Amino acid sequence: MSKYADKKVLIVEDFTDFARAVGIMLRNIGIPYSDTVTSGEAAIQACREKKYDIILSDYNLGPQKDGQQVLEELITFNLIKPSCVFIMITAEKAAAMVMGAIEYQPDSYLTKPFNNQTLKLRLDRAIEKKLTLNPIIRKLDKNSWQEAYKLCDEVIESSPKYRSSCLQLKLDALRGGKQLDKAFKLVTQLADERVTPWILKCLGNIHYQRGELKKAENTFIEMTENFPMVIEGYDLLANVQHKLEKPVDAQKTLQKAVERSPKPLKRQKHLGQLAEQNNDYDTMTHAYRQAVRYGENSAFSGAEEYVKLAKSIGHILKGNTNEDRKKLIAEAKSLFNQIEQKFKQDPCAQFRGVVAHADFSAIIKDQKSTDKYKEIAPSLFEKVEEHIGANESIEIAQSLKNVGLSQLAECVIEEAVEQYFDDPAFIKQASKITSNKHLIKNAKKADKLNNKAVKFFKSGDFVSAIELFIEASEIAPNNVNIALNHAQALLKRFQKKQENPQDLYNSEDILAEITRLPLTDPRYSRYSELLRLNQLMLQKVE
Amino acid sequence: MQKNNDDIFNLILASTVHDMKNSLGMLGQSLKSIFEHIDPAAIDTKANNLCGIVQYETSRVNNSLMQLLAIYKLENEQLPFNPSYYNLYDFLDEQRLLHLPLLEAKNIDCEIDCDEDIEGVFDESLLGTVLENIIGNAIRYTKNKIAIRCNQNDMLEIEIADDGSGYPEQMIKLEGNYIHGINQSSGSTGLGLFFAQKIAEMHKHKDQNGSIELANGGALNGGRFIIKLP
Repeated sequence: MSKYADKKVLIVEDFTDFARAVGIMLRNIGIPYSDTVTSGEAAIQACREKKYDIILSDYNLGPQKDGQQVLEELITFNLIKPSCVFIMITAEKAAAMVMGAIEYQPDSYLTKPFNNQTLKLRLDRAIEKKLTLNPIIRKLDKNSWQEAYKLCDEVIESSPKYRSSCLQLKLDALRGGKQLDKAFKLVTQLADERVTPWILKCLGNIHYQRGELKKAENTFIEMTENFPMVIEGYDLLANVQHKLEKPVDAQKTLQKAVERSPKPLKRQKHLGQLAEQNNDYDTMTHAYRQAVRYGENSAFSGAEEYVKLAKSIGHILKGNTNEDRKKLIAEAKSLFNQIEQKFKQDPCAQFRGVVAHADFSAIIKDQKSTDKYKEIAPSLFEKVEEHIGANESIEIAQSLKNVGLSQLAECVIEEAVEQYFDDPAFIKQASKITSNKHLIKNAKKADKLNNKAVKFFKSGDFVSAIELFIEASEIAPNNVNIALNHAQALLKRFQKKQENPQDLYNSEDILAEITRLPLTDPRYSRYSELLRLNQLMLQKVE
Repeated sequence: MQKNNDDIFNLILASTVHDMKNSLGMLGQSLKSIFEHIDPAAIDTKANNLCGIVQYETSRVNNSLMQLLAIYKLENEQLPFNPSYYNLYDFLDEQRLLHLPLLEAKNIDCEIDCDEDIEGVFDESLLGTVLENIIGNAIRYTKNKIAIRCNQNDMLEIEIADDGSGYPEQMIKLEGNYIHGINQSSGSTGLGLFFAQKIAEMHKHKDQNGSIELANGGALNGGRFIIKLP
């Protein structure tokens, strides 16, 4: 019996004759049964119902989701087990790699046409590699950097053919554990051996992590110049340039990337964001149009690109444009419609959409619509439960002010300032919108207290830290960062002395107050980790 | 507008290639199925040889298609070049397996002489296309043996040797000007060599460049193709 006989296999291929041919090949190499679906959507559904060991997916799946999008969604939504081997079938491997988002790579590629032998070989190799490297990846996923590092050395010793993969993982482990000097030493040593795209990527990332942004920029420039078709280089470069406050350069960089690879949603959205900052509304419109278009089949599409596209159309209509105004207005209106339909379950998206709609109606001097959406905006704001993001708050407040809803604008800004006072770029913009000078002054005060407390925390003086966190939280009781810091300090103090369980009850109360943090917020994982630790310690006490 | 036309052309090119490759895949698979439906006793050497020819010509069309596409992209600065570390034995073994049905049909012995732990730095899909073509040609011109050998000293060196009658003298003399070897009347393999040279040259390290070399003789006393990568 073949070692594959009991494997569960899924074939994703829109061309049914070819799918049948693959099924026959699988039988020939000892896999008697396999499931076949003909679209990406059906593949996602199939993976919800059954846990597959092997997925063979064509990259090109017709008009809807492509193979790369299928892979991204399966990983993000946890629909495949970590040991599942995903093989991408392509007409051209290189083209598929250029078009895809870099974070999600299949385990192997198979180029058409292929025969039984090649299929079997690819499967054998991909499965063996996965089995060998999976223990390291599991350690990395758990942030066990030391153990991952040690495992890398062991695997290099026992399976030298995975040396370069292990070295990559080793660098991930060093960077994760913030051993940047050691990582830098290793990467320069490797770069001397050979400069490859991933070496440059890694070197640039280490510079970035060390805060040496200029050096990071130069490294990524070198990467894009030497390997102009490795698109990830442009994304990395644009990020650094954005951080260096060179939005014009960053925009140019991303324009080169989307020329070569327009599909990734994140890239188009970043480009749109930069173009907005640069007041380049043609580019902004184009980027968000693409984002809406490519997002159509994606599970990652959000209200953001719809609102932004409508906003940039508004900007164009404000100026003297040669474009067909009627057509643009119709496009924007259809976007507002889509927000209403597609994101029904998301109160924040609804609020944002209606505010943008009112603002847009004012731009095109449609008084009736402006009044209509102005009237419903406040009640929609009441329904928003989660914290609205920093940038979104600025956008919404600005639009509210444009249509004369100043009071509501102040409410939105007030909440946001309390939440994001530690983001200087945000505070700068917020202070332009609010007329409440007291608000900004308080935010700065809370920020100072929080920073001071963090210093005490880092030096191990949890008592002083906690005192200051209490003071800061009085100024900004809803601020998630302060709450998390405060809770963490309480847990630490308890861990150190093991005597006052009151610390645990207090931190439990603080964490329980955090009810409006969206799952998508970057702080969410820290929040749930603290919650878990807190529960664990409480169990021991009780 | 020019830019737009390029985009449309690229799109047409990509979808046509995808289509053609599906067809080539179906061709191979259908041939296999035909054979499965025939009484095995009825399959004689001649049928096997004919099957081998269809397989060979299929992979030749596929390979030419890939080379053509790559050269088009190279001219337009769109050819992805993404070198990385690969295990050399695995890579060469896979190249051999691609041709296995034909090697078996023609009863050609193809051996690989390569240390199993060597890692090389190269662009896998581009070098794969190069070697697929060279091995395909070796199968065409050899008598009964092909040897794939590789070693790594200063440069990574891969040699594909056969025991056929060797490369024509005028081809060896081209030494790097393989574009002149493309000759319609002789149906020469110039495209393959031209492509191989281009791809070799893309591989750079410090001040070294890759190159290719043709020779006759060696242990098998036939044609020898050597590609050196820094």
